[in-house]
Amino acid sequence: MRMPKPSWGWASLPALLLVRCMAASRVPPYVLPQPWDVAIEALRWIRSGDLGRQVGASLAREAGGFAMAVLVALAIGTAGGLSQRFRAFASPLVSLFMAIPPIAWAPLCLIFFGLGYLAIAVVIFVAAVFPMAVTIQEGVLGIVAGQVRAARTLGASPVQLLRHVYLPASLPFVTAALRIGFSQAWRALVAAEMIGASQGIGWMVAMGGQVGNASQVLLGIVLIGLIAWLAESLVFRRVERRYQAWRTP
Amino acid sequence: MYYMLASDTSARATEPFQFARAAAPTTRRGASFMVDGMGFGYRPGRDIFRNVTLKARPGEFVALLGPSGCGKTTLLNLLSGFLAPHAGTVTIDGRAVRPEMSELGYVFQAPNLFPWLSVRENVRFGLRMAGQLDPDEQRRKALQYLDLVGLSDVADELPNRLSGGMQQRVALARALVLEPSLLLMDEPFAALDAITRSAMNAELLRLWSTLGQTILFITHDVEEAVFLADRVLVLGFPPHGLDSEVTIDLPRPRDLRRTRVLPGFAELCDTLLQRIAGVMQARSTPASFVEQESVQ
Repeated sequence: MRMPKPSWGWASLPALLLVRCMAASRVPPYVLPQPWDVAIEALRWIRSGDLGRQVGASLAREAGGFAMAVLVALAIGTAGGLSQRFRAFASPLVSLFMAIPPIAWAPLCLIFFGLGYLAIAVVIFVAAVFPMAVTIQEGVLGIVAGQVRAARTLGASPVQLLRHVYLPASLPFVTAALRIGFSQAWRALVAAEMIGASQGIGWMVAMGGQVGNASQVLLGIVLIGLIAWLAESLVFRRVERRYQAWRTP
Repeated sequence: MYYMLASDTSARATEPFQFARAAAPTTRRGASFMVDGMGFGYRPGRDIFRNVTLKARPGEFVALLGPSGCGKTTLLNLLSGFLAPHAGTVTIDGRAVRPEMSELGYVFQAPNLFPWLSVRENVRFGLRMAGQLDPDEQRRKALQYLDLVGLSDVADELPNRLSGGMQQRVALARALVLEPSLLLMDEPFAALDAITRSAMNAELLRLWSTLGQTILFITHDVEEAVFLADRVLVLGFPPHGLDSEVTIDLPRPRDLRRTRVLPGFAELCDTLLQRIAGVMQARSTPASFVEQESVQ
């Protein structure tokens, strides 16, 4: 094992805060509040129990839309990876939807499903499903045909092939797809909540902007970044690290 | 690795050898392999093989030698049952061949190991699929066969930590652990460097003399075919199938240093090279004719 190289990554966040404090000291606090103003705002939200409610609402939408997207992406991606015909049929559609920013669907969803959980969840679904489907499809295509043949000559039945070759071979790229899909869904969620929701972190940010509460806006932004970072580094990166050993030649 | 090159018996060389004799006496069996009047083509009217007949006696080492482009991959898919012939039969001990059948062992050109499994678990894979032995017994047996190819000390490594030659030995152990009575080998050492390759050839002969399977070994290397086989079949270009066969009457056990300097060795190589040259020539004349035929 080699020593990890010294990294300056730890310094970037304090540096950002420092620059920010310096900038904030030159303008009135209602334009750019100091970090402690944001902290006081956070305390106020936590005390009233509102913070938990807003974060909970956002996470519930994320969970619903993302879960649906995972199921559909698995189906589309697997079918596309295994069947050349399906791939030829579906790829123009997938490219088309990938080219449209998911938030552009939000007004249509709001008209269609009305203000509420479903409209936002559908926007999240649209945002996450296509990038995930493409990643899964590429992964299935990349499963080495030779390994499948080898398993067959070693006596594996079709069910055993699925369980002992296709499944383990697909875990790394399925994890990568989940990571990509989650972050896409999260971006779309916040944007959609700013347009058409009565609660959630996105709503918090939009509301703060409308009433001129800059601390509330910044609090929302911090929460958005924090949750995305937690999901990325605590969940997805950890799972992915487990496959690093055998994926690198 | 060096012990395989040496003709004297070092401690490491004798140990796995004796183990194999002691632990696997019942595996000394070979299947009879039979291809009878086989025909195949991907498109109607364009046969790749027509009326191919080929027999291997139990325990015989047969090499199939052919220039590239003669349809070796297709032939192998037919011999292993990945493809079904349009005419005739391919049988192991009288039963129609299927890739999954336990009598058939297959070593591919690439090791095709499962990268997410340790070396030992790769070797154990077939035993796990069969599920006849309990897990401890499976692990023990996998380790025995790894020992047989001299790799028990890397049992817990992942395949990507091993060299190409070592990976191919793992693949060999993985096929052998199921004690197949017919071993199909598709240019298994073609991707290896010359030194590793001749070591692997000697290794293979040692294993074969111990376990006694019937072996069908596909190669495009004349010297390799002569060194290994009892009989060499020369493949022709489609739709000829087999062109001719040459019996290799060199004495056994064969040895990397001594066998190659026997006067008969060079002679047999020369005979085979002439046959291959004949095959190539036969192709170059009617090739234009065949193409004209297909245009019509």
